Amino acid sequence: MARDRARSEEFTRPVRRILVGIVLVFLFLVFLVWRIDSPRVERFRAQIVDKVMPNFDWALVPVTKLVGMVENFQSYNRIYEQNQELRRELRQMKAWKEAALQLEQENAKLLDLNNVRLDARLSYVTGVVLADSGSPFRQSVILNIGARDGILDGWAATDGLGLVGRIAGVGERTSRVILLTDSNSRLPVTIQPSGQIALLSGDNSILPILDFIESPDKVRAGDRVVSSGDGDVFPPGLLVGHVVIGPDRRFRVRLAADYERLEFLRVLRSHPSERIVDPGGLIVPENRPNPLPAQEAISTATGESAPVEHDE
Amino acid sequence: MIDPITFRTWFFRVLLVILVALITFVYMLPISTLPASLPGPDLPLLLVYAWVMRRPEYVPAVLVAALFFLIGILMQDPPGLRPALILIGLEYLRARARATSDRSFAMEWGMVVAVMAAVLLAERVILAVFLVEQVSFGKSVLRLLISGAAYPVVVAVSVYLFRVRRPLPGEADALRSGL
Repeated sequence: MARDRARSEEFTRPVRRILVGIVLVFLFLVFLVWRIDSPRVERFRAQIVDKVMPNFDWALVPVTKLVGMVENFQSYNRIYEQNQELRRELRQMKAWKEAALQLEQENAKLLDLNNVRLDARLSYVTGVVLADSGSPFRQSVILNIGARDGILDGWAATDGLGLVGRIAGVGERTSRVILLTDSNSRLPVTIQPSGQIALLSGDNSILPILDFIESPDKVRAGDRVVSSGDGDVFPPGLLVGHVVIGPDRRFRVRLAADYERLEFLRVLRSHPSERIVDPGGLIVPENRPNPLPAQEAISTATGESAPVEHDE
Repeated sequence: MIDPITFRTWFFRVLLVILVALITFVYMLPISTLPASLPGPDLPLLLVYAWVMRRPEYVPAVLVAALFFLIGILMQDPPGLRPALILIGLEYLRARARATSDRSFAMEWGMVVAVMAAVLLAERVILAVFLVEQVSFGKSVLRLLISGAAYPVVVAVSVYLFRVRRPLPGEADALRSGL
């Protein structure tokens, strides 16, 4: 018996060595392919997440809620103080609400008087947070909405108060949101009221860094930070947070969104804004039978070289 | 009728899959979405290395590779690289575990931590060569240290709760088969 096993091992050992070798080669190949053609592999990754995560849907949400309930229960000890605190806050909020309503009306009147045309309002899809990244070094969450709800890569996700992150990786039923705290997250922002433009870059800490501020002496702690809309990453004007000075004396941002526990996220459907690419398109009306002679006439009249016009 | 040894082996393989799935599930619960100040230990890796030092036949290479490949996919790691290095470490430990089975725990602990450090270092070097952005070195080392400190706990749980022990000298021969 013992000798039998030993002999069978003599046969199986080279076989398993080859097997391990094949697995290793396969794994390294996957890594290489990922490095060469990252979008394709990331799509594959989104598909796998899409297959796996909805199966845990029934368990993930209740367990998370249960843990939340236990934590809430612990805070019942000081329910009285909390109640008082909330009442005080509510009084303040009512005052603010009144002010906000008045300002809104005033603003609407002024806009009307000036005939200002605003962008179409953003519409949004709300999703439940199913899971987070699981790794201590990556900050992302998985939502239960995906391609079938019309989600696209690059859309902004907020928690109703402030910006949370952007969609990166969409499956059929799930999508991943890279949070602003992730070390791969970069977001062009505007600091108000000074109007400075900066880049908000995550570094795996609660307070992301403000990089590339034009003149840092114009920035104060407490300034509002909103998305700038540069580079067409996000629609402009979404609240991100407030400037703070970190322990390392750098400007950082305290995020307005409640990162403590993200439960529901709004994904803003952003419609790409219309771009003006052709300067002639503004001057020359459409459906004109033959705009070329007119242009030629202009260019010869101004003494410009004509071939430049014909190049297009 | 299934051979009891085969049954035990497959029972523990299934148990390994369930445990790793459970750990990953807990890690992925969105309980706190704040960035962690202290990274937790890499429990699936500790579990696999603790078991391979005791019962190599419970942790077949292909199964481990598949598990860590899936974990890497779910956790947004560069796919394939980490599982491959973990697999090399696993085979190294498997060879050592077979060569000498009577050894002090301190030596085993040191060896596992050394292998994990080698896996981490190789991963960082390869990622640097391929110009992939990676997390700060300090945090990865911190995680390695925390994982190393958690190894005895994982071993204690494996030995006393799941009864994954080194085979007795009499059994040893009969249990060597399997991938």
